[in-house]
Amino acid sequence: MLEDTIIAISTPPGFGGLGIVRISGKRALAVAERVFESKERIKKPFPVRRPVFGTIRDPEGGPGIDEAFLTYFKAPRSYTREDVVELSAHGSPAVLEGVLRLGTRAGARLAGPGEFTLRAYLNGRLDMLQAQAVDDLIRSVSLTQARISSRQLGGSLSRRMRRLRDRLVGLLARIEAGLEFPEEGLRTSAAADRKSLSALAAEVERLVASFEAGRAISEGVTLAITGRTNVGKSTLFNALLEEDRAIVTPFPGTTRDFLREKLIIDDVVFHLVDMAGLGRAAHPVERTGIVRGQRIAREADGLLIILDASRKADPADERLLRRFASKKAVVVLNKTDLPRRIDARTVRRLAGPAPVVEISALAGTNIDALRASIRSLFAPAAENDGEIILHARQRDCLGGVMECLRKAERLLAGRHSGEVYAEEVRAALRFIGEMTGEVRVDEVLADIFGRFCVGK
Amino acid sequence: MPRGTAFDVIVVGAGHAGCEAAAAAAAMGLTTCLVTIHLETIAQMSCNPAIGGLAKGHLVREIDALGGLMGQLADETGIQFRLLNRSRGGAVQAPRAQCDKAAYRLAMKRRLEMMPNLTVFQGIVAEVVVSGGKARGVKTLDGTVLRAKAVVLTPGTFLNGIIHIGLRSYPAGRANEPSSVDLAEQLRKLGLGIIRLKTGTPMRLDRETIDWERFSPQPGDADPVPFSYRTRARLENKVLCYLGYTNPETHAVIRRNLDKSPLYGGRIQGIGPRYCPSIEDKVVKFPQRTRHQFFLEPEGLETTEIYVNGMSSSLPFEVQKEILATIPGLDRAKVLRPAYGIEYDAVSPTGLLPTLETRRIGRLYLAGQINGTSGYEEAAALGLMAGINAALAVRKRDPFLLRRDEAYIGVLIDDLVSTGVEEPYRLFTSRAESRLLLRIDNADRRLMGYGRELGLVPDDAWGEFLDRQKRIDEVVSYLKKNRIKTPAGDRVTRFEYLKKPEIGLKDVLEWGKFPFEPSCEETRTIESETKYEGYIRKQEREIAKAMRTDSMTVPGDLDFREVAGLTREAMERLEKRRPATLGEARKLPGVTPAAVQSLGLHLEIRRKKALLRGPVPRETGRDDE
Repeated sequence: MLEDTIIAISTPPGFGGLGIVRISGKRALAVAERVFESKERIKKPFPVRRPVFGTIRDPEGGPGIDEAFLTYFKAPRSYTREDVVELSAHGSPAVLEGVLRLGTRAGARLAGPGEFTLRAYLNGRLDMLQAQAVDDLIRSVSLTQARISSRQLGGSLSRRMRRLRDRLVGLLARIEAGLEFPEEGLRTSAAADRKSLSALAAEVERLVASFEAGRAISEGVTLAITGRTNVGKSTLFNALLEEDRAIVTPFPGTTRDFLREKLIIDDVVFHLVDMAGLGRAAHPVERTGIVRGQRIAREADGLLIILDASRKADPADERLLRRFASKKAVVVLNKTDLPRRIDARTVRRLAGPAPVVEISALAGTNIDALRASIRSLFAPAAENDGEIILHARQRDCLGGVMECLRKAERLLAGRHSGEVYAEEVRAALRFIGEMTGEVRVDEVLADIFGRFCVGK
Repeated sequence: MPRGTAFDVIVVGAGHAGCEAAAAAAAMGLTTCLVTIHLETIAQMSCNPAIGGLAKGHLVREIDALGGLMGQLADETGIQFRLLNRSRGGAVQAPRAQCDKAAYRLAMKRRLEMMPNLTVFQGIVAEVVVSGGKARGVKTLDGTVLRAKAVVLTPGTFLNGIIHIGLRSYPAGRANEPSSVDLAEQLRKLGLGIIRLKTGTPMRLDRETIDWERFSPQPGDADPVPFSYRTRARLENKVLCYLGYTNPETHAVIRRNLDKSPLYGGRIQGIGPRYCPSIEDKVVKFPQRTRHQFFLEPEGLETTEIYVNGMSSSLPFEVQKEILATIPGLDRAKVLRPAYGIEYDAVSPTGLLPTLETRRIGRLYLAGQINGTSGYEEAAALGLMAGINAALAVRKRDPFLLRRDEAYIGVLIDDLVSTGVEEPYRLFTSRAESRLLLRIDNADRRLMGYGRELGLVPDDAWGEFLDRQKRIDEVVSYLKKNRIKTPAGDRVTRFEYLKKPEIGLKDVLEWGKFPFEPSCEETRTIESETKYEGYIRKQEREIAKAMRTDSMTVPGDLDFREVAGLTREAMERLEKRRPATLGEARKLPGVTPAAVQSLGLHLEIRRKKALLRGPVPRETGRDDE
């Protein structure tokens, strides 16, 4: 119900220099006036979009709580399109909880999770893509992600989708007109329809493809360190993280379970996974570790495949490289501080197209070069004008659009009647609707707004 | 004066909506009175002399399957028949017929006069008698009061009707017929949400004064397809229609005289239909076009009147004559009736329940143009549904509603009551989400069972339907069991092979091996069901999914105040009625689609949270976006 006024603490829990309480709704101003006393000479109501200095006080005469700034955003020019008041006080949980208590006593209701954004959506301030972008922006772990999210919050993706939608609607309108008005001579040429279809499909395909980069940005790249036992995987893990995270011993088979840590290289997030080496297991626990490691390696976005430069190449190395030949990988030649026994030509042959970096994890030699190599191989292409899809759900919708358009092309080529390929174009439009939120009751909405409470 | 003055159902207005409404209620066994301004204009086709077309022909089939009259009468009085879109698939084919207007009128009048339980009465209704929030009857201009348990209003364009010809205008419901001013005033006072709409009709010409050599003839089909499942007689084409074009000279005349158009002069406030523009609209909106087509259509066998389809106009009569003078072949044509525009009151259909009962006044049903539609077929469909539901309400039985995925009638009513109208509403096939399911060939499969249950489908029609289904099933099972060798050398089932766009049923059904030859109608069904099979399955799955959403439970302890996005009105209604499911909530008056969406969203979030972490924290007081 949008009749009531909601209140919540907007800054993260804990102690901080500042803490903000936000109030939204028809009575936002009235509530604020009850709990806030200005120390400036101003005429009420409060000036719009200009902070006013004053005190938070108990309207029933209790002592003042804290000094604060009040900023008033007049509807509809506010985040929720309702009257919004922000009270910026000191960031002590006690102070902020106190403000909440006063606010609810003055007639506001505690907001549910994500309710400010929900209101922005229901009041038409944000569409679904933008609402998603708000969530992304808040949760962004890298500047790149923040930048993209912020642009999408500004509506870049929404506009792109609207243009796509408009073109699809235009095409469908042409097809439908021919069907609905058979006596008006409006039939479109199949060739023109096909041309429009393939142009649209190609554009959607590019968007779908951008998800690979998008996912790297929003979720990070999972990078598994693999290789035979005792080639120095854990030493490298620690060297890349610059901390003694994994236990390292001179004995093969030390690492049995896997370790997972976040590694940020130039604003790109990697999830670095260290795990048991491949080879004959000495212990059942180690065997389990090996099996698990293989699965992780299979599912990872990329691999660091470690070879030991101080030993001759082994058939096991060859098997390993062959098995993962189709995966993005950097081949790391470790232990270059020891006398070299591996043959350079063999390494080249084994590595194939993968870059080879020579390092010593123990001595810390050439680790920066390895970082650079990882960055350039796995990091998404530099941001360009092209929109980047950050979410699997959005990718799935666009994938659906693409499939429909391709199918429509095939039907047209197979000389099926207009109402049949129109079905596919109509389905494509429904997929776009699912993305931008122009569909009726559905789970997608629930999914997005349900998410706002999870994990925070 | 009817012998009694108390009825179960009173229907006001005997146009296409009123006739179906009255006939349905009477056939369901209720004493029914049909009140009309003039007994001679029952079922008058006020505009074009044709019934059917895309989506409209679909509607007529559906009306027929449910036991309505329009299809039978159109077949009976049709003088030229065409099945449109023959080169396309079955879902977008629909019949259209030129009808003899006078014959249609008389045939309907005869039908109604013969009907048991039905009284036809001439009178001008000035008022609906309302007490205790319910319609109890009607009062005519001369003070006669007729009582009823339900009232169906179908006043067409008569409510505050104003005819415009050029800058002159006068009150009328149709040319030279009085408009209903008192009734319009009362509906306004009852708070029914009046909107103003506009439509128009072209001039009628004298057949004898047209030079027919100048136009190209448009013959009917060699094998006419009837509207009605019950039509046995072979249909005959008795007339030709002709196609002609306007020219730059015509357009120049129109442009020169736009200042005399009530539409462009700002005298008409009502909103006209975009899909049925007047000739002046066409010229203004498509300035690049050098010609517009029109059809010359006979109004009947016993008259010389010719309807100029595509020339509707509200320009002054003098200008109309000037327009005709620019067209070779019409330059000497005599105008028998001038074209005119008409403005009229309608009631915003969002104020209606899906039964077509008004939300404000109980037992008051509206149907036809008053609901914001245009078209005989839309009117008839609404009339039929209003008549059925009025009868059911009087009988205290559950209402009869059709879903969007089972009938165009369902699409029509749902669009009207949940979205409302901004211009006179016309049905299009593209308005239906499940277009491939809603075909003329399976209207009986979709709806005749309902008609039978309602008591509107007689035994013989029902028996024939069952036979048809049996034959279709036999053919389909034969096609699925037997294989055929394709030109490419594969052996596939005949059913599979029939899916190819260029293959027809006759290519896969070998006479001799198969005991009977399916009729045209049966062939159409079998071909469509085969060719659309993948889509049909998909749409059926989607329908099942939507029905699950409707069956989403609304917990008995749900506090509707917690549901974000509900208006106070919706919240109060929900609180009061406490629907058990989302589907029930959808049907409550005052609960808008937006409210249903909010409620659905809330239920879904609630369910997800319950799965995630047990009980839902009611309030967090944290703004985490």
